[in-house]
Amino acid sequence: MTESLVVFIALNAIFAFSFYAVLVAGQLSLGQAGFAAVGGFTAAALAPEPRDAGELPTLLLAIVVGMVVGALAAVVLGLPTMHLRGVFLAIATLGFAEAVRILLINAEWTGGANGMSVPKIVTPAIAWVCLALVAYWFWRQGPSSYGRALAAIREDELAARAMGIDVGRHRLSAFVTAGAVAGLYGVLWAFYVRLLAPEDFAFGTAIDGLVMAVVGGSTTWLGPLLGSGFLTAVPEVQRALGVEAGWVRPFVASLLLLLVIVFLPGGLGSLIPRVRVRVPKDGAGAEGGGRLVERPRTAEGEAVVRVRGGNKDYGGVHAVRDVDLDVASGEVVGLIGPNGAGKTTLVNMISGVVPPSSGSFEVLGTTPGRTAVHKVAQAGVSRTFQHSKLFPRLSALENVLVGAHVVSRPTFLRRLLWLPGARRDEQDVVAHAARCLDRVGLADRAGEDASSLSYGDQRRLEIARALASGPSLLILDEPAAGMNHVEADSLSELIGSLAREGLTILLIEHNVGMVMKTCDRIVVLNFGEVIATGTPAEIIEDPAVIEAYLGGDDAGPARETEEVR
Amino acid sequence: MNTTLKMLAGTGALALVLTACGGGDGGGDSGGDGGELVGSGSGDSCTIDSPVPVGAVVSLTGAAASYGESQRKGLELAAEKLAENEGVTYDLKIEDDATDPKQGITVFEDLTKDRSVIIGPTLSNTAFQAQPIAQEAGVPVLAISNTADGITAQGDYIFRDSLTEAQVIPQTVEVAKEHFGLEKVVVMYSNDDAFTESGYKVFDQALQDQGVEILDTLTFSKADTDFRALLTEAKGQDPDAVVVSGLIEAAIPLVTQARELGIDVPIIGGNGFNNPKLMSDSGEAAEGVVVGAAWNSASEGDLNKAFLADFEEKYDGQPDQFAAQAYTGMFVVDAAVRANCSGEPDDIRDGLTTIKDLDTVLGTFSINADRDAEHQAVVQIVEDGSFKPLN
Repeated sequence: MTESLVVFIALNAIFAFSFYAVLVAGQLSLGQAGFAAVGGFTAAALAPEPRDAGELPTLLLAIVVGMVVGALAAVVLGLPTMHLRGVFLAIATLGFAEAVRILLINAEWTGGANGMSVPKIVTPAIAWVCLALVAYWFWRQGPSSYGRALAAIREDELAARAMGIDVGRHRLSAFVTAGAVAGLYGVLWAFYVRLLAPEDFAFGTAIDGLVMAVVGGSTTWLGPLLGSGFLTAVPEVQRALGVEAGWVRPFVASLLLLLVIVFLPGGLGSLIPRVRVRVPKDGAGAEGGGRLVERPRTAEGEAVVRVRGGNKDYGGVHAVRDVDLDVASGEVVGLIGPNGAGKTTLVNMISGVVPPSSGSFEVLGTTPGRTAVHKVAQAGVSRTFQHSKLFPRLSALENVLVGAHVVSRPTFLRRLLWLPGARRDEQDVVAHAARCLDRVGLADRAGEDASSLSYGDQRRLEIARALASGPSLLILDEPAAGMNHVEADSLSELIGSLAREGLTILLIEHNVGMVMKTCDRIVVLNFGEVIATGTPAEIIEDPAVIEAYLGGDDAGPARETEEVR
Repeated sequence: MNTTLKMLAGTGALALVLTACGGGDGGGDSGGDGGELVGSGSGDSCTIDSPVPVGAVVSLTGAAASYGESQRKGLELAAEKLAENEGVTYDLKIEDDATDPKQGITVFEDLTKDRSVIIGPTLSNTAFQAQPIAQEAGVPVLAISNTADGITAQGDYIFRDSLTEAQVIPQTVEVAKEHFGLEKVVVMYSNDDAFTESGYKVFDQALQDQGVEILDTLTFSKADTDFRALLTEAKGQDPDAVVVSGLIEAAIPLVTQARELGIDVPIIGGNGFNNPKLMSDSGEAAEGVVVGAAWNSASEGDLNKAFLADFEEKYDGQPDQFAAQAYTGMFVVDAAVRANCSGEPDDIRDGLTTIKDLDTVLGTFSINADRDAEHQAVVQIVEDGSFKPLN
């Protein structure tokens, strides 16, 4: 094992971490080669002579410069591109990296294509200390509220927004982290290889970094190190085994890569058992979540939702027409109507997910449609979705922890320093989340992946997640769909108990029996218009409602419900 | 997927890393048998008991693979020829740097452990990054294709048998100017490659030194394949010749398109043009292209004729300059070993400094005080589909 192999494993791992930094937030970026290039070249140009300043101070200064420049480059690139997704972001960032390379080739101060000669300072020890610091950063980031928010964005962006996560800011900060780490790589590379050339940061380099991050796996913070170790060692191993130099080596290396990807889709990291957040044995309920962020409460009877003339058109289709809706604090309002009546569109507008075509919407002091979804959520609106939008690869408990995003205190920076308060805060949030799970009857399934839960359990988990934010207004979009009678009954009881605690609830449901039992007031929609509003007793007698929804003849609501489902 | 498979994969990955560690350690202990490399006698009568370990680093895969492959052939042919001589044998180990600086550095580190001399690497950038390792380890390096400035300035263990652009290009310009009566030219070069960029600088200097007017300087990328716009611009200036510093990948379309556009003046190329592919791929269009080179297959000399015949017989094809320089490299090393009759790194280094007027396929060859090669360059012109010496 040569010195350079030891160094390159560490350097490659650091570079792979810069891809990991955005992959955990679901972003595919290839701009890291560009960040590394600007970071490396700027640092190499600005660093003093090691003879004057000493080797270590020179390197430290260069690292600071490189990381700052890398991060700044990420901000500059991130601001206009952060709204891009998937392959579009990859192409945009790739374009950036290529532009940087061309710029460096044509600049005078970089020495053009011939590159810049840089003193060699980096030793295996320095490289591994830097790697340890970077790995430490991501190890501490993972289970913090910030890390969970990034994971939530990766799993389901809209659901993350609805949980009050500022997706744009989180994505940008992940991107900036990637820029800083890539800048670090650029500096270490420059101060190890003696000659810094723009070619070192070409397209192939970006692909290598991405491959290492993916092969290592983006589900564990050890992934980049595993990927780097694997890919850096393969040529060396082949040399050691005496495989003849030539085409056979890259062929075997590619074959191994293929095998890993085919048989370990989660990367080498999936061989390591995942550490999941555990529910503290006695923690639940003990402290009553005293350290959670306080949320403003609405006074009984105060207006929570006020919609006037709400309209939504999709092309020529009027999904919602001139709807007026008021929900006062403490009310449980049911929203019923045939399929396609516009119920989901209406609550989507109320929660800010869909902007209205016209009309005035006021919800808890915000203006959904103009106010960003996460701000509406932060104001106290929490919701479930008609089709479950869970974070499938997170455990049930972690799903609920994301739901608690707006009430949890940021812990990442304190976790980096091992401040005791961070641990207590985390435990409080976990205890709070565990109580929410317990409330919907999922306490014993806390450690299971959301995607492995049964359909009914997924619906209940979504309710627990919505509850975790301590909302003022809870919007439930067909929570009982897919549940059997027993489950629906216990759900109905849960909604009742929430209502008794003073929570304002807006409920869309086809299970008319359940709506009648739990709601104070019912609003009936048909073809986008409100056709009736009143108490359950009034609604059930209303001829227009019977005509449009409950059934024109003598058929009872219960039978209709069966059909609908 | 099931657990057994996961376990298998995991064990495999672990084994890989462990082998990497183990393999490296094994290389370290062969340094002890150094004494056996000192022989008795001198020159042709020198006898060394153990084979002299020679390492070569060339780019067998990756972007520069076509050059590296030629070099491998030249080295292996030379090793075979040297084995016919009495007294000294060579254990030649050819390694691949995959045109990747990381691999270059790692391979150099590997080879410095048990090799007495390292030949290569193929590209100048890799050389700048990797050869300081050999310099620090006290293992001499003989570059066989690097033409950039400053290669041998990196340390007193670094030598080369390849002429620099600074040696070849001024001769090319001088001969071409004389032959064609050049007064004004247009210069084109790819500015994103270390080799062609330094070539351009030398052209620029040489043209100025010899009083040839540069009408315009146009740049392109080494990945470009369409030069029509640039060539039209060049044609409009009505030059006596077009001077191009580019790699062979650019040279072929550039020359072809220039002739299509009716540019009939001579095209003067750098070392990148020095490739038989130019004639095979550009055909008629290549006629009249002038290239300076360190070696020409039509050069006189029995050694060169024998080399051509041997190469043809072994590989069923014509050698190029890379093969010739690599072939020469092994013979230069042999001369250095025999000079002190020792295969020890320091003795080979000393031997290399004494190389003077050695008869090689490149001509009469010497190594100067800067550890650079010195021999007559050949200015060639393409005539009837092959390079013919112009001087």
